[in-house]
Amino acid sequence: MRDTKKLTQMALLTAIALGIFMLEAQLPSPVPVPGVKLGLANIITLAAMLLLGRREAGLVLLMRVVMGAIFAGSPSTFLFSAAGGTLAYLCMCLLTARIPAQRLWVTSALAALAHNAGQLAACALIVKTPGLMAYAPVLALSGVATGVFTGLAAMYLLRALDKAGWRHD
Amino acid sequence: MKDRKTILWILAFALLCLLSAAALLWMGRDKPPAQVALITVDGELWERIELDRVTESYDLLIDTPYGQNLVHVEPGAISVTEADCPDRVCASMGKLEPGGLPIVCMPHHLVIELEARDTDA
Repeated sequence: MRDTKKLTQMALLTAIALGIFMLEAQLPSPVPVPGVKLGLANIITLAAMLLLGRREAGLVLLMRVVMGAIFAGSPSTFLFSAAGGTLAYLCMCLLTARIPAQRLWVTSALAALAHNAGQLAACALIVKTPGLMAYAPVLALSGVATGVFTGLAAMYLLRALDKAGWRHD
Repeated sequence: MKDRKTILWILAFALLCLLSAAALLWMGRDKPPAQVALITVDGELWERIELDRVTESYDLLIDTPYGQNLVHVEPGAISVTEADCPDRVCASMGKLEPGGLPIVCMPHHLVIELEARDTDA
């Protein structure tokens, strides 16, 4: 039935996203700034949004974040990831209806900015240090750069999947 | 391929990047050398170090329920040299710079920043 196919696709995407996430976690960061990272696993989140829908993409994201935190992080890491991820996900949900697939890179960049803003806000609340706002410009720049990159990658991925027979909007 | 909306978006992001870069430059403008460093965990003061009064370098261990960070204090400078957090980004941040980013170890809720001076030249 259709649900089984969807379930299988979600499981597959989750596994791939988790693999990408773990791999990226092993690579040393080229930029010595906390909070700056490529976020390559979000290529899958974006693709899932257009392939399967908001709820399904949300589940894939949730599963990946939970397992990623178990395998590669500490409880604190999970909190920050969740804060950023939730805001980014909400942003994606709002935008995929309004921004066409040909401009997925825009959705991705805005979601990346939302992610960084969420993480920064969560961090500022926990350490209660307003001086942390000094990170805003750097995170804005990195958000745009990484967002555009993962967005473009997701667009190419969708095009390839299209040719392979995976339907999407 | 590039229609009007795409170009508008490109301009919007370019503007954001320009403003951010400008903000960074403004933050890094001529500042007096590091004077007082504040080490906080969960927002609570762990230690206040007057860097300009330090004569001999020493290492300070910050041991909290979140984890451990080894801080190196020297005349006029402070940095994190070792940590047991998952990514150790804090240890790669180098010395705290006036007008630069505070050193942060997110998993350990640790922040090392320079005390804001009351009189700004």
